[in-house]
Amino acid sequence: MAHRDPRRLSRRQFALLGTQVAGAVVTVLLGIPIVGFLISPLFRQQQAVWREVGDIGAVPDRQPTKFDVSFPLGEWTSANVNLAVYVVKINADYRIFSNVCTHMECPVRWETSLGQFLCPCHGGLYDMTGNNVGGPPPKPLPQYVHRIEGTTLFIQNRFTESV
Amino acid sequence: MGRISAAYNWFDERTAIRSLIRKGLYEAVPVRGAWFYTLGSATLVLILLQLITGIFLTLLYVPSVSEAWASLHYLAQHDAFGSIVRAIHLWSAYILLFVIGLHMVRTFFSGSYKRPRELNWVTGVGLFVLVLAMAITGAFLPWDQAAYWTAVVVTNIPVYTPFIGSFLRALWRGADTIGPTTLSRTFGIHVWLIPAILFPLIGAHLALLRKHGEFGSYVNYRGAYRSREGVDVPPAPKQRPIEPPYPAVPTDELWAAPLETEDFYPHQTFKDGVVSAGLVILVFILAVAIGAPLEAIADPSTTSYTPVPEWFFLPLDELLVLVPQQLIPLVLVLPTVGVLLLLALPFIDRDPERNPFERPAVMVPGAFAVLFVVLLTLLGSGRLFNL
Amino acid sequence: MSALIALIAPALHLLATELPSQAPQGNNRLAAQAVIGSLFSLHILIAGLVSGAGEIGPAIEFLGFVRQRRRYDRLAHGLGHFMTLYFSFSSAIAILLITVLLVGYWGHFWTTMVTIGWWPLFIEAWTFVLQVSLAYIWYYAWEPLRAFKGVHMAIGGLLAIASFLQVYMIDIIASYMLTPTNPQNPLRLALNPTSYPLTVHRTIGNLAYIGFAFGAFCAIRFLRARNPEDKAFYDWAGSFGLLWGVAMTLMQPIIGYSYAKEIQLHSYGSWYKMMFGTLSPVFLWQITLLGIMFITATLYFGRRLRTDGARGAGLLRLMSVGLVLTTLLAAMPYHLGFTYADVAAAGLNRPFWEGGLINPLGSMIPWKVLALMFYTLIAIAAVVWYLRGLPGVIWGSARRGEQRILMLMAVLTMLMIVTMGFIRENSRGPFLISGEMTIQGQQNTQNPQPTPAP
Repeated sequence: MAHRDPRRLSRRQFALLGTQVAGAVVTVLLGIPIVGFLISPLFRQQQAVWREVGDIGAVPDRQPTKFDVSFPLGEWTSANVNLAVYVVKINADYRIFSNVCTHMECPVRWETSLGQFLCPCHGGLYDMTGNNVGGPPPKPLPQYVHRIEGTTLFIQNRFTESV
Repeated sequence: MGRISAAYNWFDERTAIRSLIRKGLYEAVPVRGAWFYTLGSATLVLILLQLITGIFLTLLYVPSVSEAWASLHYLAQHDAFGSIVRAIHLWSAYILLFVIGLHMVRTFFSGSYKRPRELNWVTGVGLFVLVLAMAITGAFLPWDQAAYWTAVVVTNIPVYTPFIGSFLRALWRGADTIGPTTLSRTFGIHVWLIPAILFPLIGAHLALLRKHGEFGSYVNYRGAYRSREGVDVPPAPKQRPIEPPYPAVPTDELWAAPLETEDFYPHQTFKDGVVSAGLVILVFILAVAIGAPLEAIADPSTTSYTPVPEWFFLPLDELLVLVPQQLIPLVLVLPTVGVLLLLALPFIDRDPERNPFERPAVMVPGAFAVLFVVLLTLLGSGRLFNL
Repeated sequence: MSALIALIAPALHLLATELPSQAPQGNNRLAAQAVIGSLFSLHILIAGLVSGAGEIGPAIEFLGFVRQRRRYDRLAHGLGHFMTLYFSFSSAIAILLITVLLVGYWGHFWTTMVTIGWWPLFIEAWTFVLQVSLAYIWYYAWEPLRAFKGVHMAIGGLLAIASFLQVYMIDIIASYMLTPTNPQNPLRLALNPTSYPLTVHRTIGNLAYIGFAFGAFCAIRFLRARNPEDKAFYDWAGSFGLLWGVAMTLMQPIIGYSYAKEIQLHSYGSWYKMMFGTLSPVFLWQITLLGIMFITATLYFGRRLRTDGARGAGLLRLMSVGLVLTTLLAAMPYHLGFTYADVAAAGLNRPFWEGGLINPLGSMIPWKVLALMFYTLIAIAAVVWYLRGLPGVIWGSARRGEQRILMLMAVLTMLMIVTMGFIRENSRGPFLISGEMTIQGQQNTQNPQPTPAP
């Protein structure tokens, strides 16, 4: 055999390289859109909208009162979702709480017999001002971004701080 | 008869099916301890039951937030047979989780993860995690109150991971809160993604089992294994010569082949059949008697509903109740460490000793781990009855 | 015996008279509480052993059958013998209490309780009959049924079930007194929020107690034994009992924590009294005692291995040190005053380095929770390392020090049981049935104390 230039690829090496390149091309061309699709929700922002809750002039002092507000679920669906709003009036100050527990997001309820908000899942307790007084929840009860025009309450479907 | 065997020969010439059947049916299995081995086939039968009932359920169920509950409600109201299919799917899932737990405890107890069967165990742990994932993702799909709040709590658990917690949560939910994307993603994961990994893994698990044979448990050798005291145990008979094709790799003489074997078909298949049929009958009875409940449609604004976890989720949920706020990441750490320890088990415990009483360093922590899970389930079970 | 008669003679007088129309008042009440408290403690100290023996004896027999070792059989036989000897004594006290003393002193309360808990008590009575018959059959049919071990073990299994049910039924009554629920619904009565945790807690506790107790008994027998076969047996049995006791006890922190959680959720006043109120020093003593128990047990493990030069003794000594540190952490008080209320009233509820009387390192969350976790983990490690070192141990060669430790463990366990009982019964005060009936026998018609619903 004639003296071969070691820099030149043999037939076998060429085939090997070609297989790997073909595999890599398919993987990349398939992988990028799929991975991008999977992580795309991290970069989509849910638009927050305002909705009217109702007239809160009649809410008694120190007695959390529940209102239901309908918000669009968003994305592609036309369905709506009901959100619960607890309006607490302490002297002249209004707190607008959601019923989302800061532990595991279970539905919190006001217990009149306790004088506290109770989360039935794991026994979390919040007082009337939303502060933690018992159980595992790590943060106070979340409040909705809101505005009050006269005696009408409007809220956005997002919290003042993320849960 | 001539024509049938001629047809069979024609077929065999073109597909080599005779040798395949022979290999499959006439494997040597040990005589002693064979009833314990039925748990594996019972698991397989129940998984196949899930596959079949699940496929037929997709002929009606709609994975949309506004239609999911409605489609299942329609099923419950107007379709008696369809309701039974759904109920079988539910009860078979519950019993599958129970049987897979028993199967794991049995293989752990008998040291069946030791050389050369380490990968069998590793694939098995993978299967366990995937089956659990199927159960959890399946629980979201009805989108009734129970499903909705399960989805909320389960998808919220990753948020306690340091640094990437909220990203992980948004990845699954499709946003920061539960929405249409959550249901669509979970449906795709439950029906396609996990089964696409699960079934090849089952194939690998079974292939490995066949490669190394169904023995190696110390139960096969009772009477031959001399205890340390040598009391009340007859002397070991001459160890039988090891026959091909076992062992696939050189292994300890004592555990290589049992004293007595018989054919897989019909002896083991009989035992497998009895146990599997019994379990399927049990599933059927539960499905018809109790059925699959469907609660009210999901309502995030509820202030009267008390979310109750699925029974297999109780240990984790009880941890969530007990663990104080500063130690919540423990709820993530404990299951992760548990699964990692399970995966690493064959590589930590390399002692060839199989008798469970002679290896306390593995048995005792394992027994306590099982006991603690059972204990947590028991302690949290009061909430199942809505007390 | 005569002391017992002296105690109950005044109560017997009650049988001849009409039942008092109200619960004892004033000093009489304190005396009556003391009598009932002491008798109940005595009852539990023995009945706990009997229940534990009924559960663990058959298990040991089965274990011996599987492992083909005679000494397990001998131990189980001994436990059966114990049951036949002491069953009647503890039952007599219990019967005396529920038919004479409770009826006589707190008739209104007890008749209410029997009315509410009719079915549990009915089932209890029958499992009692079952338990005593099975215990005697199991013990006396040992040799006759030696060729039919399966049958004998089945009888033992039934005995274990009967023993468990007995404890479960009475725990329904006891837990109802703490967290009463809808009495009309028998299922809710049986599944009231603290019945599960209490039953699990007491069952595991009984199993631990019998282990420590026969460990101490075998220690005494070992010191008296003369022939080597007996010495080997008692040495092994003492070690086995301690091992068993520790294995059960290390599960108690999580069970107890969960039990306390249920009490917090459903009987807040009782919980507060235990954690921050007048019982908090006793509760602090309890967690310290738990640590002392684990330290003592690990000292035995280390010593026993070192006696025979088996491997692992050094590591066990290290674990003892770890347990000492954990106990020190657990033993730290949170409020450096008798109750938290005292400290708050004095205006000193701030950390001690700011001039106050609060020790943040003594808070339950997260420090004592971490201490409890460490108790459990180190105890599991100690059990595992002791078992690993056992092949190097020669039974019969133990020294006196190990036997003394075994006897100490039994004493500590009895102390723990009495402490628990004291805390339990007094935390509920002033109620006999939380929120519904006071110790004075008055029905409480006011709103019950705030207790979160599940």
